[in-house]
Amino acid sequence: MTPSTSDDNSVLLVHAYLDGELDPANALEIAQRMSTDPALAAEGRRVTALQQLIHERLPREASPPGLRARIEASVGGHRRGRERPSWRALAASIALTAMVASSSTWLIIGSPPESTTADSLVSDHIRALMAPQPIDVASSDRHTVKPWFNGRIPESPRVVDLAKQGFPLVGGRLDVVGRDPCPTLVYRHEKHLISLTEMPAGSRLDLGKTPRTINGYNVVHWTEDGVSYWAISDLAASKLEDFAHLFRTTPAES
Amino acid sequence: MAQVQCIPQRGSDGIGFTNYWQNVAAMKSEKPLLRLASSATQGGLSGLDDNARFADVVMPHIDDAYRLAHWLTGNSTDAEDVVQDASLRAFRAIRGYAGGSARAWLLCIVRNTAYSWLRKNRPTAVVTVDDLEAVELAQANPSDPDAETPETTLLAQIDADQLRAAIAALPAPFRETLVLRDIEGLDYREIAQTTEVPIGTVMSRLARARRRLTATLGGKSID
Repeated sequence: MTPSTSDDNSVLLVHAYLDGELDPANALEIAQRMSTDPALAAEGRRVTALQQLIHERLPREASPPGLRARIEASVGGHRRGRERPSWRALAASIALTAMVASSSTWLIIGSPPESTTADSLVSDHIRALMAPQPIDVASSDRHTVKPWFNGRIPESPRVVDLAKQGFPLVGGRLDVVGRDPCPTLVYRHEKHLISLTEMPAGSRLDLGKTPRTINGYNVVHWTEDGVSYWAISDLAASKLEDFAHLFRTTPAES
Repeated sequence: MAQVQCIPQRGSDGIGFTNYWQNVAAMKSEKPLLRLASSATQGGLSGLDDNARFADVVMPHIDDAYRLAHWLTGNSTDAEDVVQDASLRAFRAIRGYAGGSARAWLLCIVRNTAYSWLRKNRPTAVVTVDDLEAVELAQANPSDPDAETPETTLLAQIDADQLRAAIAALPAPFRETLVLRDIEGLDYREIAQTTEVPIGTVMSRLARARRRLTATLGGKSID
């Protein structure tokens, strides 16, 4: 109806912003422009409405039964080649579970410390700090951060607004533990960043002992409602415990 | 033969895309957790090697491959054929997979396979590069008249069949970009890698695809 007063580039940036593709500086700028430019705001609403419509109406269907088997057969009857590693994987995971179950023996037996979830997550946290930005979606609004995970992972993470308590949300990213993507929320307290990763409790990822500190980073781990939470930060341990307590006790009303 | 290079291309987007995903990908191959099985990929029999890599790289993304093939060919039978063909190509090219998004790597092969399949079996429906350029030119202005702005509330009344038909009616370059982003959830970099265009092109195609779709759905009812 009304001719757009915004240039084409701004329109593209609105789309990129809603797709979580902008770095924090650009995200902030376009968010501000959307709040003052009705044309850009309307564009944003249309994009969001369309994405929601697609998300609701078109569930992602799985491939037809039998297709996988035919593909495996077509790559040359190498099924044995596939089975052997998966047997090994099974054996290895049983062995590793046994090791971990017997508390600290895992160190002696020589399983490298990197193979615990906490180590992997601390590495993710450190790497995120070294990257140009620690997040893939930059927003202090959990209504932006939460939907960003839609379509990337099957579960939707619990996102709580703790800005009033001194822990504003900065954004979110996906960390990879093992081979599985896990939603990670990034909160800030003063100049410290906190990475909070959620994963299904009791999954094969969620094993390994829980050290209090790794390389100087504090780790707080808890499980609630079948979800395992890992908070990693260089924040003082007591402050990180406070954060964990707030996160657990603050309702995530929608 | 269709190429299976599928190298990510970068446009002059200049808006500071994160390279975090590359880091994730690099991380993934460097430091596997509980991936002792993959020690089998480090050496030993080459047949075992390729099959283990295929199982790691390709098999987790068969559903995504099938859905993309379905959107590109328009029906499930052809989609299955395309995915099977593409899987075979991926298997032969598996040693060329050098890290990065495995999903985008596979989807790029699926896309190339689908288009060569269409060229062979449905020459009338073929989209040539010239056609793509014509579409780009015709749609050069994102605020073109057919992209007028309906009320977003109208969208809520659209049912799944209408939505599917409207997406299917989009020109191929717009359709594939929209499907990869809004249905498959790929990020821009992965879409650029899959469709072999710069990120800037991904952005403009995506914006136009969404505008056309919104205009179609909100503007006139689809029978």
